[in-house]
Amino acid sequence: MLASRALRLVGKRAISTSVCLRGGHGVAKVEDYTLPAYFDRRENPLPDIRYVQNLSPVQASLKEKEKGAWAALSADEKIALYRISFHQSFAEMNQESAEWKSVVAGIFFLMGLTGLLVLWQRKYVYGPVPHTLDPEYKQKELQRMLDMRMNPVEGFSANWDYENKQWKK
Amino acid sequence: MYRFAKAAVNLTGQAARQARHGSTAPPDFHQKYGNGLMVGGLVFCTAVWGYVLTQTGITWNLSPIGKVMPKPWREPEE
Repeated sequence: MLASRALRLVGKRAISTSVCLRGGHGVAKVEDYTLPAYFDRRENPLPDIRYVQNLSPVQASLKEKEKGAWAALSADEKIALYRISFHQSFAEMNQESAEWKSVVAGIFFLMGLTGLLVLWQRKYVYGPVPHTLDPEYKQKELQRMLDMRMNPVEGFSANWDYENKQWKK
Repeated sequence: MYRFAKAAVNLTGQAARQARHGSTAPPDFHQKYGNGLMVGGLVFCTAVWGYVLTQTGITWNLSPIGKVMPKPWREPEE
């Protein structure tokens, strides 16, 4: 009861570091993912924390100067202050990348590898080509198909000119 | 409504003043090698598949129409 009252005094912001209501078992380990984090997101323009958490002496002195009149800051100092608070500018985070080129290149490469696989398959897996696929056999087969008048209306034999013994143009 | 119109006019004014400077960030991997990799990949793919489709002896059994001339097939009966 008293501990919860004390918690309320500490305030909402410090909840992650305050003592948990654990009946005297101590402070729970604070995980990284429970603390406020920095994100460069268009939909969340002002992140919960500054980008640079541990300021160098130069940056610390600059932050002190920031407490005074801003007109006294040079352009470079203003940019340095921006870079302390933010990682990427909106222009930087929104810019398109050329990653698709590498992706397409990868696609072509893997398709080529597939071709090599098919090559290996032809050499080591396929059996001999049946004799019915020899060019001479196919010619005889063609003559027989035409003799049989296969599909003479709109199909196969319809393409053959029986009068002049040649393919129709 | 009036305030909205004022804001709208302000927006367009700012857009007109913005100058595009282009990025000064150093080129990343994709910008440096992307085009070359794409061309190389395409060449490799077409070379391999061109060879496989034509030189490996795979039978495609394409249609004889317009390509093959028929040949007599009847064998003399004994």
